[in-house]
Amino acid sequence: MNNVNCCNIKLYRLFIDAIRAEFSAIFHDGGALLILVFATMIYTVIYSVAYGREVVTDVVIGVVDDDRTQSSRRLIDGLSSGPNTTVGYEPISINDAEDMFYHNDIYGVVYIPQGYERELLSGRQADVGVVLDGSHLLLYRQALEQAAADILTRGAEVEVQRLMAAGVNGAAIKGVVEPVVYESHLLYNPSLGYGSFVMPSILVVIIQQTVLIGIALVGIKRRNAMTCLMPLTITQSIAIVFAKILVYIAIYGINLVVILGVIWPAFGFPYAGNTWDVITLLALYIVAVVALGLTLSHLFRRRESPFIILLWSSVPILLLAGLSYPREAFPGWLYAIGELLPSSSAVRAYVDIGTMGASLWNVRGEIFTLTVLACLYLALAIILEKRAIVNKKWAK
Amino acid sequence: MSFVNSVLSAFRRELLYLRSDRLYLSAITLLPIVMIAFFVVMFGGGTIEGLPIVVVDRDESEMSRKLINMVNATRGITVQYEALSMDEAEGYLLDGSAVAIIYIENGFESKIYEGVPANIESYISGASISASGVVESNVQQALRTFSAGVSLGKLQDMGVNYNQAMVDIMPINFHIFILSNPYINYAYYLAPIFMFMGVVIFTVLATVFAVGRELYYATAPEWIQSASGSYFAALIGKLLPITFAMILLMQLVYGILFIIMGMECMGSYLMLTLASVLFIIAYQSIAAVFVIITSNMRLALSLGGGYAVMAFTFSGITFPTESMYGVARTLSHLFPLTPFSDLFIDQAMRGIPVEWSVWKMAELILFMLPVAFVWPRLRRVATDRKYFSRD
Repeated sequence: MNNVNCCNIKLYRLFIDAIRAEFSAIFHDGGALLILVFATMIYTVIYSVAYGREVVTDVVIGVVDDDRTQSSRRLIDGLSSGPNTTVGYEPISINDAEDMFYHNDIYGVVYIPQGYERELLSGRQADVGVVLDGSHLLLYRQALEQAAADILTRGAEVEVQRLMAAGVNGAAIKGVVEPVVYESHLLYNPSLGYGSFVMPSILVVIIQQTVLIGIALVGIKRRNAMTCLMPLTITQSIAIVFAKILVYIAIYGINLVVILGVIWPAFGFPYAGNTWDVITLLALYIVAVVALGLTLSHLFRRRESPFIILLWSSVPILLLAGLSYPREAFPGWLYAIGELLPSSSAVRAYVDIGTMGASLWNVRGEIFTLTVLACLYLALAIILEKRAIVNKKWAK
Repeated sequence: MSFVNSVLSAFRRELLYLRSDRLYLSAITLLPIVMIAFFVVMFGGGTIEGLPIVVVDRDESEMSRKLINMVNATRGITVQYEALSMDEAEGYLLDGSAVAIIYIENGFESKIYEGVPANIESYISGASISASGVVESNVQQALRTFSAGVSLGKLQDMGVNYNQAMVDIMPINFHIFILSNPYINYAYYLAPIFMFMGVVIFTVLATVFAVGRELYYATAPEWIQSASGSYFAALIGKLLPITFAMILLMQLVYGILFIIMGMECMGSYLMLTLASVLFIIAYQSIAAVFVIITSNMRLALSLGGGYAVMAFTFSGITFPTESMYGVARTLSHLFPLTPFSDLFIDQAMRGIPVEWSVWKMAELILFMLPVAFVWPRLRRVATDRKYFSRD
């Protein structure tokens, strides 16, 4: 039986019955089962397969070498040694390079003009052209970094040779050629892995979206078949809402154990979080999301509505957290609207704890927001649960 | 009744239903427009600026202050905090207040005056790649300018004249030419694909709903009858309102990109328009296959919705398909968004010759074929009542 008999029932019995009813509703509804039990894992695996390779290397570029000297060859060798780029082709002219570019054979062209070596040897400035494609920023960035680094290194070598030739001593040369030594350290995601960057955020958003759609599916089906028409007391309503929350914490708890215990290590995504901090955060998040789901489920009357209304919002919701696209880059008011969703705070807190190894104290702002949202949506869910049961009288 | 009349009859029936169902009507009008508007606002700025960083200045000298000011003057980053220790600075990273730390060692200024290389270190959070790339390039840019100034001064102190010193500090002058997106505008790079994805999601959901509801509400025989028993005419007539709505939406997207956002269309607008028509029909065909195979509207909405959302990942815009695992590269061919986004970039941003994009059009046409394989099943599920009202 999918419905709780709430007429003249003891509170603990109602609580137990509500748990049973919720489990039964989920496991007897193929749609809800797919969304609530399997979708989180399926989506996580598929996204992990797409992003699991993590790093873009060996971006293929072409070099048009009109100089054909030892100096130009040395520059080409540097560009080819990677890791970001590899010189896949050496077209004989810019026109040939353009054809290759249009055919997506190469993503950039380095042009070394005739006279390159002569200029260097005569103490003048040599020119090199770097043509890059800005339509794909990840490829563009990799190619630019490599080209700039190789050309600057080669330039520094030439500078050293010139200063030595001018009779400047070795110690002074260092201070001129490289007055500042720059060392860059990447923290928390040292290889700048794309999967490591985006997967934690995606996981948090998937949890929210599947809970919202799944609860709506279950709620609509249950309401459409409601038998109990007696009004609930507020205590009964609270008992039912908490029973449902317990059910979803159990389902998503198991899901998350598999995801974080098996899928995460299998794809090598970083996990630096203290287990209890992660559990506390995710439990609070699931409470807030389930409460929001129970609230929203009362807005839908048809089983197809949650898909059409909620599905499209997944990507905007991911962006609103301000991590996959920095919050500084979009309007503050849009960011503020995003704060009404549990996922926004949870994405930031989860990335901070899970990827960066922050503590709950470090993310106290997000925890506070999540707690406020959980209380707000719980209150709404309890009120609507009570009203919904009463309102079903019209359905009779 | 002629075929055209049969199509028109099914088309009129669908329009009548559209008028009566606000959810369905919203799915092809209001909701996609809201989604498109969201992405316009989200990416309207176009650039990532003012990312907050922390500086730990152990030197506290005139030179270190000058360097900090140069870093702060870059567009991408803002020196938001100055911490006394690395522990304090890392606290800003961990609570999300800053994305990077710049550490200036004690004795920085004196080393520069003594001609000994001085050290600067940056600690950049890799937890957000889009931010870390901007920070790294901006710090490097500031440091290059700073170092060049120091080198120039030293060479002049050695008696080298200004012009020769300028040549000596940069013996190889590299000129960067950026094609397709010369100002590295994030809006041009991200907004189109996000908007296309919005159109994809609503095309799939609306198509699944349009066909699926005939089975769910057991009205399929009436639907087929409206087209005088022609299944083909019934399907075309049913899907045409969605096709028209989505073609208009694609034109709206192009209008936003090329007029409001100022993106220049480097190639053929006509080809982009033709491709958008094929793109929409390709997704409609696949959505119809989902309903026909499952004969269950709700399940088809689940599967179709998931398929539509995942297209974005496999389009290769955020992470290139060439860098994905082999299996993921193969999967990327299962989504019409992949060839369409390639074609859009080729035509709108790279301006490649039209004839080189024809293959991408052919790829889009291939996505319309699977519906032919499930055609016999459509005849079965649209007439046999055992396929009706499944949930």
